[in-house]
Amino acid sequence: MTKKIGVYVCECGANIAEKVNIDKVIAAVSPIKDVTVVERHKLLCSEGGKEFLKQSIEENGLTHIVVGACSPKQHELTFMNVCEQAGLNPQLFQLANIREQCAWVTPDGEEATDKAIRQIRAAISRVPYHESLDKKEVKCSPDVLVIGGGIAGIKACQLLALPDRKVYLVEKTPSLGGKVKNFNKLFTNMESGVKLIAKEIQPLLENASVEVLTESEVKQILGFLGNFEVTVTKKAEDEELNFSVGAVVLATGFELFDPAGLPQYGYGKLDDVYTSLEFEEMNSPDGSTGGKILLKNGKAPESVAIIHCAGREEKGYCSKVCCLYSFKFDNMLKSQLPAAKISHFYSDLCIPGKTYQKFYEDTKGTGVEFVRAAKTEVTGSGKGMTVKYETQTGSKGDLTADMVILLPAMEPSSDAQKFAEMLNLARDKKGFFVEEHQLLSPVASAVEGIFVVGCARGPQSIAESIVQSEAAVGKILSALVPGKKLELEVRVSEISETLCTGCKTCIDVCPYSAITFDEARKISAVNEVLCHGCGNCAAACPSGAAKLKHFTFPQIYQELEQALR
Amino acid sequence: MSDNKQGAIFPAKGNIREGILDFIRQGLSQGCFDAVLIPAKMPLSDSFTHVLIKDESLLKDAYPLCPVMPVQGARAISDITRHGKGMKRIAALMRPCEVRATVELFKLGQVDLENILLISIDCPGALPLGDWAKDPKKTEEAFLELLKGGSNENLRPVCKICDKFSSTGGEDLHIGMIGMKDSILLVPGSSKGRDILDTLGLKVEQDISDWQKQVDAFTEDKKEKRKQAYKELESKATGLDNLLDTFSKCINCHNCMRVCPICYCRQCFFDSGDSKFPFEDYLMRAEAAGGLRLLPETLLFHIGRMLHMSLSCVSCGACEDACPTSIPVAQVFSLVGDRNQKEFDYVPGRSIDEPLPLRVYKDKEFEEVEQSYAGASAKEET
Repeated sequence: MTKKIGVYVCECGANIAEKVNIDKVIAAVSPIKDVTVVERHKLLCSEGGKEFLKQSIEENGLTHIVVGACSPKQHELTFMNVCEQAGLNPQLFQLANIREQCAWVTPDGEEATDKAIRQIRAAISRVPYHESLDKKEVKCSPDVLVIGGGIAGIKACQLLALPDRKVYLVEKTPSLGGKVKNFNKLFTNMESGVKLIAKEIQPLLENASVEVLTESEVKQILGFLGNFEVTVTKKAEDEELNFSVGAVVLATGFELFDPAGLPQYGYGKLDDVYTSLEFEEMNSPDGSTGGKILLKNGKAPESVAIIHCAGREEKGYCSKVCCLYSFKFDNMLKSQLPAAKISHFYSDLCIPGKTYQKFYEDTKGTGVEFVRAAKTEVTGSGKGMTVKYETQTGSKGDLTADMVILLPAMEPSSDAQKFAEMLNLARDKKGFFVEEHQLLSPVASAVEGIFVVGCARGPQSIAESIVQSEAAVGKILSALVPGKKLELEVRVSEISETLCTGCKTCIDVCPYSAITFDEARKISAVNEVLCHGCGNCAAACPSGAAKLKHFTFPQIYQELEQALR
Repeated sequence: MSDNKQGAIFPAKGNIREGILDFIRQGLSQGCFDAVLIPAKMPLSDSFTHVLIKDESLLKDAYPLCPVMPVQGARAISDITRHGKGMKRIAALMRPCEVRATVELFKLGQVDLENILLISIDCPGALPLGDWAKDPKKTEEAFLELLKGGSNENLRPVCKICDKFSSTGGEDLHIGMIGMKDSILLVPGSSKGRDILDTLGLKVEQDISDWQKQVDAFTEDKKEKRKQAYKELESKATGLDNLLDTFSKCINCHNCMRVCPICYCRQCFFDSGDSKFPFEDYLMRAEAAGGLRLLPETLLFHIGRMLHMSLSCVSCGACEDACPTSIPVAQVFSLVGDRNQKEFDYVPGRSIDEPLPLRVYKDKEFEEVEQSYAGASAKEET
């Protein structure tokens, strides 16, 4: 087939025309082989410009298009759509960036013109080597797997479960409710966590679209957005369950830093030193004391010391909810033991947001003592314990306490590593899962279709965890509409079976886990659904077996040769 | 190497070669391994090659120290295990550069080491294959002289400046013989190697510092020679013009690539259709430059190879042996490899667990050559 290349140079108002001599550009590229049409336009991305381009393609029966204009980031898609409307495969188009790369950055007009000629010439040389890549779609499952039956997981399930969408909720312990189910009271309104969580769980158990799998563990997840194959082991029945889902929500929660590693607090050695979660359990009506605050000897404490930030220095981050729930503890202590003396030992207080400041001030007003201490140490004797402290200015003091409550740092769940390996997810140095983008995409992970919510991402309050679940659900609902197919990136990599020699370099450099290894044939293969077309594999493969479509060797070679000529 | 490393002593009755072969015989008869891959003299002609020996009686033709390196042992192991490991165990007795290349090929998925035992040996170096082809007798004599401590003038240039002629860490077992007279030293480098010595009842309790000191002294000497040689090579291996000069004798036979243990591609890009262009392109290039040398991608081939394999290059010299026009390929590659490897603090073949630099992602790396975006001013879009 004869090639008919159309070249269109955009003035971009004055942006390009002011610096680049477009007449000279047109004169230079017009004689090039197969160039049939060369036109200039004031603003090609305008409605009029797009119509002009479409008509010109149709009237001249063009086979390839080159536009000299702005950055592909801005208008590549715009012009590709015009090609498509004109009946031309949009991949048979190349955009030469003569604005950002010439007009805007090259002060000398002649130099900028020469550069623009090179860029457009390079595009003309490249475009005949383009392939018409056809759009591909995959069927996807609208179902979702939620891992972790705490408040974040429960909330995600509630919102996702619809008649045409099944949700699997996998929880490793025998019951749903996570940590919240042991919280007798929640800050700041002192609502019962036990009742709140029961209210949230009940509708799930009644919803036919939700399959709750307690005492179960996720054994394997393979696949990609829209098509994850999941294997779950039901521990009690010792049976395996297989199903497919389109997305995964990780709500694996947190555990507490073990303060036994910090000998100055006496945890594990002294009878009445408790972690915050143990104190919560003590207050729960279903707990070992039936909800009563009691010392190991069965008596009620007369003095209680609450020590903040246990392990903050070791972990290197603030767990952000401890201060708030410690005020809740004051409340709980005061309502059961109005005469008890309560002292807080803290180095910094973290009380952000619109409601918490008042909560703190209300607590402070009830006669609770706040001691700012740089160092705290708990020592025990036959009778009660002594909390020795040193202030930031170096002065020392001590107080006796019958009960000590430590507020240890929150750590990622012990399962985090397992899921990081299973799903190839990145974790930060603290072990929490890393967001796709801390600011712009906080609930998505770097692996498409996998979302991380609640304390698996880092310390969160209940309200924050729920907001994140809602955000993840929003993303899933818009990506996985039942019956919808997913349109795939067409500029993906492919690996030649005959050239691949199985060194697996591509697998190591692929950031999307899009390459799998066929052990029997000892060759790598690209999963087109997972591939984002970054080209790492093509660059790393010494054999030339891995190729990135639209950025093949001849295409780049032709482009470079003309650019450098 | 750690200071308190120990080895086992094995008797050699005044003849190092016999000592090594005795050790191999014992290993075979005690079932430590089922076969041995070892250089041996071919019965009909005066040639050496790696032979896979199962029958102990054939060991009489084996030469653990052989004058030339006709085949890089890593290639042999790659062929044997191309379709996966076997059920039988093979001990491969090779030069350190062959062991190191094997370790690199392991990282590149080209060999399966599960049932392979890598045994390296203090290497005196090899003589040019070309000398051997011309006059085997004379070359063998020169080699025997060398073993007795004679001149190393005849060694291949890369062997003369090789500073990794002894244990390098990637082997299962190393045979030390520098400075040894009536015995050889067996130094385990892995649990596999240790197991063999256990089976043979050899106690790993010999202090090896005497041998080590001699190895270290030699190494220093070689390093100094290497520095000198690099100074001379500088003008051959740096800059486009020098490289064009150095490789101007290249006849595009690609032998260097074919014998290279690290060049593991099924098909070299430069042998593929992708490296050929439409007719007009050549004309255009000829027009642009005034003339176009054919075959056209000669230097690009060598630079491409450097780019692909220099981080794993073990300076074995196989390429130079194979070059029909005597281009100092191995010397140039050795220099380039050395420099590139140093940038990543990487030593090919040093350890099976050391990842290939290309596969390691570091957030901060080579910042000194990074181009900063600061100062690139962009106008606001209108």
